[in-house]
Amino acid sequence: MAIASIALNVIGVIFLSHAVYSAYEHSLLPSTSASPSSGSYLLSVLDPKVNLPVDITIETLVSVVLLCAGVVLSSANLKPIQWNVWAGNLERSKDARATKEVGVGGGNPYAALEERSGFLDIRGEMKGFAEWKNKGGEGRIEGKKA
Amino acid sequence: MSDPLLEAPTQTNPSHTLALSQKARPYLDSRPWYFTTLPYPLSLFLAPESQERWAASQNLFLASLIADDLPVAYAYLEDITERFGKLNERVMALQGLYQEASAKDTKALEDVVKNYDELLKTDPTLMAIRKRRVAVLKGVGRIADAVGDLVLMLDASPTDAEAWAELADCYVSQGAYEQAVWCLEEVLLVMPNAWNMHARLAEVQYIQSQKMSEGSGEQLKTLSESMRRFCRSIELCDDYLRGYYGLKITTARLLAILEKVKKPPTASSDLVAGDLAPPKVATVYKLNELATAKLAEIVRRSSAEEKGWDGYSGAELKAAKAMIEKDTQKIER
Repeated sequence: MAIASIALNVIGVIFLSHAVYSAYEHSLLPSTSASPSSGSYLLSVLDPKVNLPVDITIETLVSVVLLCAGVVLSSANLKPIQWNVWAGNLERSKDARATKEVGVGGGNPYAALEERSGFLDIRGEMKGFAEWKNKGGEGRIEGKKA
Repeated sequence: MSDPLLEAPTQTNPSHTLALSQKARPYLDSRPWYFTTLPYPLSLFLAPESQERWAASQNLFLASLIADDLPVAYAYLEDITERFGKLNERVMALQGLYQEASAKDTKALEDVVKNYDELLKTDPTLMAIRKRRVAVLKGVGRIADAVGDLVLMLDASPTDAEAWAELADCYVSQGAYEQAVWCLEEVLLVMPNAWNMHARLAEVQYIQSQKMSEGSGEQLKTLSESMRRFCRSIELCDDYLRGYYGLKITTARLLAILEKVKKPPTASSDLVAGDLAPPKVATVYKLNELATAKLAEIVRRSSAEEKGWDGYSGAELKAAKAMIEKDTQKIER
C-alpha cells in the first residue's frame, strides 16, 4: 500500500507539473492566445483570453485525482475513537499505557479510583515494601489487591 | 517512549517503586546549581519551568518515602515547598505524608492527627488534609472513625468519586456489602465510563450474593446483577481480563443456581423499582461459553507474547489459566 501510494503521488505530481507547464507554453503562442469568443458571459477583466486544448484540461484533472488518491492512501492509520477499542488497547498493551509527558498516556485514567493516592496509607505501604524487599523482591506485595 | 520518572509508585508494582527510589538520590544530585541557589520567582530567570520536573519530584518523593529513605524524601519535600509555598493544599498533604512516615510510635502519629485537626479548624475546606486524616485513621484500624469522617466529607462534596470509592472500600472491609454497593453506584454516577469500577461493583455484588441463602430469589437477583455489571465492564473495554474472569465465575454460579430453582421468575420482581428479571438459562450459558473462549484467547495470545499483548499482569493471567484448566478437567470427567 505504501509503495502504491508513493507511486500515485509521484505520477500525479509529474502529470500536474507537465499540465501546468503545457498550459503556460500554450498561452505564449501568439496564434492561440487570441480571445476565443466574443460572446463570453464573463466580464472582460476576468476572461483569461486563452483557448486551452482539451488534452491539457484532462491531464490536469486526472493528475489532481491521482494526487488526491495518493495523499489519502499514504496518510497514517486512523486512531481509535471508540471507547471500548481505546480502553481495550490500554489493558492489552504496555506500550499504550506508557506515560510520555505529564497528562499524556498513563493507562486507565480510572485506575486512580482503586489506587486512591489521596488516601495513600503510607505506613502500610512502607511495611509492605520492606517485607517485599526482604523476601527477595519478586512478584508483588502480598495481601494487596491485584 | 515512556519516562519512568513520570509514573507514580503503585502498590501493584513494587519493583517500579524500588527503581524510582534508587534513582532518587542521583536525580537530586543532578539538579543544576542555579536551581537551589535562587528562591522561586527569581530562579525562573535562569531555569525553564517544566511540569515534568515537578511531576518527577513528587513521584521520587513518594518512592523514597515508601523505601524508607527519609533524608532524600525530605530534600524533595523542601524543593517542592520552596516552589509552591507552604499553604498550597497538595504541599500540605505531602508534608503530612512525610510526618506520618517519620512518626516513630502511635503517640507521634496521634500528634500528626492533632496537627491535621488544627489545620482543619483554620480552614475546613482543605479536602487533601481531610483525606489524609481519614487515611491515618484507617491505617491504625479505626475504621468507624474513618467512615464517619468520610460521610461528613461526602456531605460537603458529593461528587468526589475517590472518596466514594474509599468509603466503599471501608464498608467492604467491614463486611457491609449493601452500603459498599451503594457507594460504588455513587462512583458510577460521577464516572459512568469507569470500566474497572463496574467490575469492582460486580465483584462486591458477587461476594454479597455468596453470603445469601442458597437459591433464594434475593441471591438470584444479586448474582444476575453482578453478571450484568461484568457485561457492562466488557462492553466498555475490549479484552478486559478482569471482566471476562468475573463473567465466567458469575455465569457458572448462576447456571448452578438456576438448575436448582424449579421455576425462576420470568417477570420483574419489583415493578416499582423496575429491576430486571433474571436472565434465561440459554443466555447465561452462551455468556459462559463466550467468557471461556475469550479467556482462552487472552491467555494464548499473551503467553505467545504476541505484539501488543504484553500488558496483562502475570498473576491475573495465571489465575485465568488455572480456571480454564479446571473447567476442561470437569468436562473430561
